[in-house]
Amino acid sequence: MDFLVSSFASALRLIGSFSPDVVDAVGTSLAVSAGATVFAALFGIPLGLLVGLSDFPLKRLVVTVLNTLMAVPTVVVGLVVYGFLSRQGPLGVLGLLFTPTAMVIGGVLLAAPIVANYSLASVRGADPRIVPTALTLGAGRFLAVGTLIGEIRFGILAAVIAGFGRVVSEVGVAMMLGGNIRGYTRTMTTAIALETSKGEFAFAMALGIVLMTVALLVNLFLNLLQKR
Amino acid sequence: MRAMYRLDSIRKCYGSIVALDIDELTLGEGRLYTLTGPNGAGKSTLLNLLAFLSPPTSGEIFYSGKRVDWNHGSMEEHRRKVTLLHQSPYLFEGTVYDNVAFGLKARGIQGEAQRRRVDKALDGVGLQGFRDRKARELSGGEAQRVAMARALALEPEVLLLDEPLANIDRETTGSLETVIASLPARGTTVVLITHDPDQPDRLNGESILLEGGRVAIPHPPVRR
Repeated sequence: MDFLVSSFASALRLIGSFSPDVVDAVGTSLAVSAGATVFAALFGIPLGLLVGLSDFPLKRLVVTVLNTLMAVPTVVVGLVVYGFLSRQGPLGVLGLLFTPTAMVIGGVLLAAPIVANYSLASVRGADPRIVPTALTLGAGRFLAVGTLIGEIRFGILAAVIAGFGRVVSEVGVAMMLGGNIRGYTRTMTTAIALETSKGEFAFAMALGIVLMTVALLVNLFLNLLQKR
Repeated sequence: MRAMYRLDSIRKCYGSIVALDIDELTLGEGRLYTLTGPNGAGKSTLLNLLAFLSPPTSGEIFYSGKRVDWNHGSMEEHRRKVTLLHQSPYLFEGTVYDNVAFGLKARGIQGEAQRRRVDKALDGVGLQGFRDRKARELSGGEAQRVAMARALALEPEVLLLDEPLANIDRETTGSLETVIASLPARGTTVVLITHDPDQPDRLNGESILLEGGRVAIPHPPVRR
């Protein structure tokens, strides 16, 4: 127990002193996660809305594929993207492996299915009267869909936040595509894994506390918006 | 009588179920029709067709003498002339003003003209002073009146009402019936679904009875 208490105290001291290693890892994590979430939202939200609002022959199959993609292990996504970005891979010439860009690409593949599925669920859960009401009041198709998005905006926002949560908390993609390079591609999660294996428990705990705080702040932000 | 709608051999099917099967039906301009019949008779299906929300499975609808083409552009154009008010209307998030102005904004009516029409519509349903209230915080009767104001603000050629007075108190019903009954005099065609046997008489409308998707009793000549 003493070990945990003393580690916790050391972790708080590290956070309070703005240790450069902690600051770097937190900065990289947030930048990569935010970048990946933005692109995932750009793909995922329209995809979820499109699937939710339209009827087409293979709709059930598309929904099943989207659900399956949510559960793909992060290391599998890392493996696939690694295959494309490694020197022998088709995109190896771009030299993206072990860069934040590669981590963002992997993050997009992780988050986009989540954003799409949550957006789809929001459309399905929306009041079925929204679109017909807008149409009967003379709205065109775009305004009717825009009105629907406005009415389910908290569900869409929750989708984006869930996507962010998936990227910020994962290790596999960040480790395989970023390479855990100190001060460059080291994130909170890869640093926690590394420092714990090195026996630097206090440092790992400091990052764990920051990670939990980020998760808490993101959810508080969502709650605040919903209350408004 | 100038025909607002003419339905010719209209069938609407959901899978193998025939929801509507009307050989011929003509609805005149500036007339008020009450649509009655048991549940499942096809009343709401007919209203959705008249509102251009969904095309018939077969048959033709003529609106103002022109055959309706069910492509998106044409449907949008027709929907701007016709407004449907449901029994339990959906009010968008925002204020009463936002809701009543919704259709006006969709038509590009802005500024003073928009404010004037919103205020006039709210006055018409007895909701003066409600424009800044949050729509979601209204009582059922107030929400119904806001929905009615939202429809009236558009000054549509046709107003379709799906049991608009089913869930509201007697006093409000009386005032809204007065508003509805006054619309044909302004040239508005009104089609109203009702289960109240006395309402057709109170509204001085022509009654159409639907049974099993068919017009059971053709509506009588206009009494007005």
